[in-house]
Amino acid sequence: MPKTANTNAEISAPHTTTEPTVVVRDLRQRYGDFEAVKGVSFEIRPGELFALLGTNGAGKTTTIETLEGFRAPSAGTVRVFGQDPLGQPVGVRERTNAVLQGSGLMEDLSVDETLALARDLAADPREPDEILRLIGLADKRGLRVRQLSGGQKRRLDLGLALLTRPEVLYLDEPTTGMDPEARHETWRIITDLKREGVAVLLTTHYLEEAERLADRLAIMHRGEVHVEGTLGEVLAGWGDRVSFLLPSDVRTDDLPELEGAEVEVQTREQRLWATYTVREGDVADRAHHAVAALMAWAGERGGTLQHLQVRGASLEDVFLRVADGAANLVGE
Amino acid sequence: MTTTKGTDRRPGPGPLRQALRLGRTEFTLFVRYKTALMYLIMPLILLMPVANMESVPVLGEYTTTDLALVGTIGAIALFLGLGHPSNVFTARREALVLKRLRVSGVPQTAIFGGVFLVVLLFTLLIAALIVGGSMALGGSMPVDPVMLVFSVVLGCSAMTLLGLLVTPFVSNAESAQMLSMVPMMALLFLSGSFIPLEAMPDTLRQVALLLPVAPTVEMAQAAYVGYDVFGGFEGAERVGFLGLWAGALPNIGVMLVWIVGLALLVRRYFVWDPRRP
Ligand SMILES: Nc1ncnc2c1ncn2[C@@H]1O[C@H](COP(=O)(O)OP(=O)(O)OP(=O)(O)O)[C@@H](O)[C@H]1O
Ligand SMILES: [Mg+2]
Repeated sequence: MPKTANTNAEISAPHTTTEPTVVVRDLRQRYGDFEAVKGVSFEIRPGELFALLGTNGAGKTTTIETLEGFRAPSAGTVRVFGQDPLGQPVGVRERTNAVLQGSGLMEDLSVDETLALARDLAADPREPDEILRLIGLADKRGLRVRQLSGGQKRRLDLGLALLTRPEVLYLDEPTTGMDPEARHETWRIITDLKREGVAVLLTTHYLEEAERLADRLAIMHRGEVHVEGTLGEVLAGWGDRVSFLLPSDVRTDDLPELEGAEVEVQTREQRLWATYTVREGDVADRAHHAVAALMAWAGERGGTLQHLQVRGASLEDVFLRVADGAANLVGE
Repeated sequence: MTTTKGTDRRPGPGPLRQALRLGRTEFTLFVRYKTALMYLIMPLILLMPVANMESVPVLGEYTTTDLALVGTIGAIALFLGLGHPSNVFTARREALVLKRLRVSGVPQTAIFGGVFLVVLLFTLLIAALIVGGSMALGGSMPVDPVMLVFSVVLGCSAMTLLGLLVTPFVSNAESAQMLSMVPMMALLFLSGSFIPLEAMPDTLRQVALLLPVAPTVEMAQAAYVGYDVFGGFEGAERVGFLGLWAGALPNIGVMLVWIVGLALLVRRYFVWDPRRP
């Protein structure tokens, strides 16, 4: 787990490439009486993408705003390149950039003027033509920003964030409003950035996006991180599912008990389906053991498991569980 | 695509060049918003009372009309400086434009500098029109053009900062416009360009000269006529270059105190993020 690696990095020489560029520790953020972020910790290394997922109002944007240096933490610390980003000191601001959740473009400038302004303000910019090609807006360069479509504006937001060659990039729902092709293109761009060593913090409500891009991820709900780790680690904890059509002569109570698994019966298309969720045991072969046991059970009864499906948990399962579970806790 | 690492990054363009560049964009937008037109028409309204005034000689060949005419320049800085930045910076904050600039690495001073430059440029432009117009009608050249320009710079700085200071109190451009009217009207009446400082009771005149517009109006008038008018028109004498600047020192001092004080307040209270606690 990254936790141990991180203590090493703090002691090791500064040129170590694995030293985290973004460090957030026990961050708390209050708005008056309301605590929007309640003790969040994570870190991001060069070339790594950390996805901060979570329910609406979970505190993702607030966390990013703190990293961007717009507000001081109520408690805890944030560090970017080892510095406090509050007020955007020069050593931080020239090396970071962001796509904001709400765009922030000057509507009365043209696309060309927008990029030219950004280029002239930056220390070591990419050329606007390169950006236009990357974001696929070369044929719209003469238009005023207010004349662009929602998705086109979003692409321009991304283009502006890339233009300054940031080493740390905060992407707050960057693909919202993009069509599937533009989204794939954006994923390709982000993958390239990672390869170049950019540390990326991404928030998104498209879980597929996180599955494809994230090296590590966290799921937040009401200010707290509920799940954290690599995609594999996160999914492993949430189990494999084995489901099949419940034979008409089997009652729910007759289903066999499997070690380390829970069974649930649901109605779909007016038929009953049994689903075993296997959470315990070795990740590599626990599904195999469950299926083997169920096949043996079916064999004894002289039948087959119809419509047998085995699948790992998806990020969506985990997400819904987090959103749901916590909601239930509050309801109790 | 390539990313540069922190250590071998090129040095940035620096806040001054960034401010000039932003000033250029501010200018484009100023013209595009059609605000420019409004601010160009405004002096005409200000000049109406001047035109109706009885013109009497006060200082040598200079008449009350000449002095009133030059005095309007201070009011232009007041209108533009208080009116324009408060309005557009509120709108831009709400549209996240300011936040976008900040996250892309542009420092605060450059962003404020950009809007200051457009205020300064337009005020100078209108000042040139006023002086040029007066010269076309048989008036003379300003005696000390440097002091005239300097008074405009001081006035625009203070007024731009005051305009920026309006923005934390409001949440949209309309209320920014409304709220900026309050100091605008108060300062206009005590500026000496609407009601001549000469016509004010002595204590009121003293107070006015401690506020951030009247000192610049007085400086502009002194610069235009070359008389030491800093103690009032009565008994003012024609003085040389150094005498004029020496007379202007208290006014410059008052303005600098305002500028530094307002700058500190802006630094402390300016809000970049529409979603504040
Ligand atoms: N200025 C404020 N005053 C009071 N509450 C605020 C303020 N700003 C944010 N909040 C609250 O803080 C919480 C976290 O907001 P935040 O924008 O960080 O959520 P988020 O995780 O980004 O959500 P989303 O996915 O919807 O963008 C929300 O409940 C929000 O209402
Ligand atoms: Mg958000």
